[in-house]
Amino acid sequence: MRRSFAFAGTTVMALSLLVGCSSAGDSDSGSGRTTLKVAALEGGYGKDMYNKVIEAYESSHPEVDVQLQISKSIEDEITPNMKAGKYPDVVVLGQGREAGLTETLIKDKALEDLTPVLDAKVPGGKQTVGEKLTDGIVGNLNTNPYGTDKTYLMPMYYSPTGLFYNKGLFKEKGWDVPATWDEMFELGDKAKKEGIALFTYPTAGYLDSYFYALLADVGGEQFYQDVMTYKQGVWKTANAKKVLDITTKLLGYAEKSTVGYANEQDFTKNQQSILDNKALFMPNGTWITGEMADAPRSDGFEWGLTPLPSVNEGGTRYLTTSVESVWVPSAAKNKDEAQKFIAFLYSDEAAKIFATSNAIQPVKGLSDSLTGESTEFYSLYDDTSVSALVGGFASTNPVEGVDIKSTLFDTANSIISGDTTEAKWQAALDEASEKLRQAGN
Amino acid sequence: MTTLSTPPRQPAARPVKKTGATFRRTRPGAPDRTRKRGDTRFVLACLLPALVLFAVFMVYPTVNVFRMSLYTWSGFSPDMKFVGLDNFRHLLDDRQFVRAFQNTVALLVVVTVATMGMALFLAAIMTRQKLRGGNLLRFVLYIPNILSVVVIAAIFSAVYDQNNGLLNGSLRAVSLDTWQQVWLGDQKLVLYSVGMAMVWQSLGYYMVLYMSSMASIPEELYEASSLDGASAVRQFFSLTLPLIWQNLRTSLTFFVMSAVNLSFVLVRAMTGGGPDGSSEVLLSYMYKQAYTNSSYGYGMAIGVVIFAFSFLVSLLVSRATRREPLQF
Repeated sequence: MRRSFAFAGTTVMALSLLVGCSSAGDSDSGSGRTTLKVAALEGGYGKDMYNKVIEAYESSHPEVDVQLQISKSIEDEITPNMKAGKYPDVVVLGQGREAGLTETLIKDKALEDLTPVLDAKVPGGKQTVGEKLTDGIVGNLNTNPYGTDKTYLMPMYYSPTGLFYNKGLFKEKGWDVPATWDEMFELGDKAKKEGIALFTYPTAGYLDSYFYALLADVGGEQFYQDVMTYKQGVWKTANAKKVLDITTKLLGYAEKSTVGYANEQDFTKNQQSILDNKALFMPNGTWITGEMADAPRSDGFEWGLTPLPSVNEGGTRYLTTSVESVWVPSAAKNKDEAQKFIAFLYSDEAAKIFATSNAIQPVKGLSDSLTGESTEFYSLYDDTSVSALVGGFASTNPVEGVDIKSTLFDTANSIISGDTTEAKWQAALDEASEKLRQAGN
Repeated sequence: MTTLSTPPRQPAARPVKKTGATFRRTRPGAPDRTRKRGDTRFVLACLLPALVLFAVFMVYPTVNVFRMSLYTWSGFSPDMKFVGLDNFRHLLDDRQFVRAFQNTVALLVVVTVATMGMALFLAAIMTRQKLRGGNLLRFVLYIPNILSVVVIAAIFSAVYDQNNGLLNGSLRAVSLDTWQQVWLGDQKLVLYSVGMAMVWQSLGYYMVLYMSSMASIPEELYEASSLDGASAVRQFFSLTLPLIWQNLRTSLTFFVMSAVNLSFVLVRAMTGGGPDGSSEVLLSYMYKQAYTNSSYGYGMAIGVVIFAFSFLVSLLVSRATRREPLQF
């Protein structure tokens, strides 16, 4: 008797283990409200603004219950459920993250076509979403990843990236911010005599904004597009050679501790060398002011941002613009509701909430209402000789062992340390680009 | 992945202690058949939870790794494409993979030799020589083992700092300026810098492990041998080492396994595989391919290679260290 009890007991235990693994079940309360699941990356802007926007949405849409999931590593939290078939309805997450979730879904063609959202009316306004957005912010590879006229990722926030420097130091020394590469290297020689390096980067990955702008500077936007879409032999062209020439020369002026600190653990030490006047320029984004807010700095320090110098005097200078995206997975349950919610994100009401957290949406006229340091950063777009550049490498079917971004950016470390040569770099880029071209999309 | 880690018992080995599960309750009087059957059922029922857990969390995922390595799959899409051994063929032309493999092997060899050698040496000194403050030393050496890897990475970032780091600072202080290095920036050095952190992390654990087995060697043996004129070194090689041999070979296998994993977490936290992939190890490369590069199937193929490699290394270690066990 006792034994059969024990037997039953252990069996129950074993079964309960299995039950414990299964889901707690979807409890869609029968109240008739639609549940909209929103997942967002908690970036530098914080999570407060999302709570406020959702509150505003729910008060105008009482039939919708918005559930927000927000985290600094949102991929890790939503991926297991996605693999089990439970997708969020709206995801606010850009490209270029290490987990590569957005890129993976793009490659899988698992995103919902959001072109209809562009034609939808913005709640509380007369314009459509498309009319409200800044010109040129959609229709590039960042929003239309397959190079077609269909938009799959809606641009959420944008910020200029470029070369950051200490304005105070330039004022003190009486130097001008160089407008051409010749002036840049001249300044490099001048600064060297004073023991200041011309250039540094936090980690090699930060060179993305640098390279995109330089490619367009050297060969124009068409050349930039050719590189991004892996046109055959594009890395063998004279323009490509020139890009690598300039870069190799620039890396020769790099602060000597750059490579040793260019890792996840120490990259802030490279950023610190700008604050300490040990290096003049580094590629970075507007978040740098917040990231280094508490760091010690030299007297009279003031953040400045400039686009890359141009190759020829008076040439167009490009400002790589980092754009975070919002998208809807094809497997989401409430796709219509998701599109309505996204349209709401561009309403005046929502934009105001986002802007108070410094999250600037690519909406016409919004940058006029900025305050503080951001005003100056965003005012670069008003310069007629400066053009915004959005995008990044086109998506292809995954190619095993080929990652052109790491071939393009990480090799900078080897160039500085002398472990590889420019010629080998060019050959490796050509090989990677060709493999990706063949994979196609 | 530790399937073959324990070698088959030799006949001369110490008698196996009966575990609770196989212990049979017998009462004086005729053994009852139905009772025996009931016993078996009870034992099986007791084993069931463990078996279920083992199957769900070990067997199933492992089998799945092997299966997935034959597909190309991004990780999400419903369409997986069967490609046979294509993923493995790609591995052969993938220079990054080859480099990661070389790095893993180099780390395993260097770190294993350094950790085991130093752990044995320190354990022998601490048990045989009555050191002052021995307990304190043991405590200090053991501490790294309980630190989280992130903490270790932060500590070593401070140690290796090229300008104000502990290491370069000390070298400057003793006027060995020319020996200063960019420990995490030099592509030829970075792997060994990571290795040093691994040794620091695991040294204390293995030292304590060996100390306990050395402490159980009877004192008389040492007394007798010293009467015969054996030096401390001779005692170590002829007495201590043979008598803890079984212990040593088991821990060696475990160490090789754990070093594969530890190298991954340390590389991720300290260098991210850089500069320019020079400190990439197999597991970190597998992560990059499976997730960042959306080639899940390819990542799993790397996983299979790691599995086979660990399997092979433990088999070799176990074979190479097989000796007739000695008893005291």
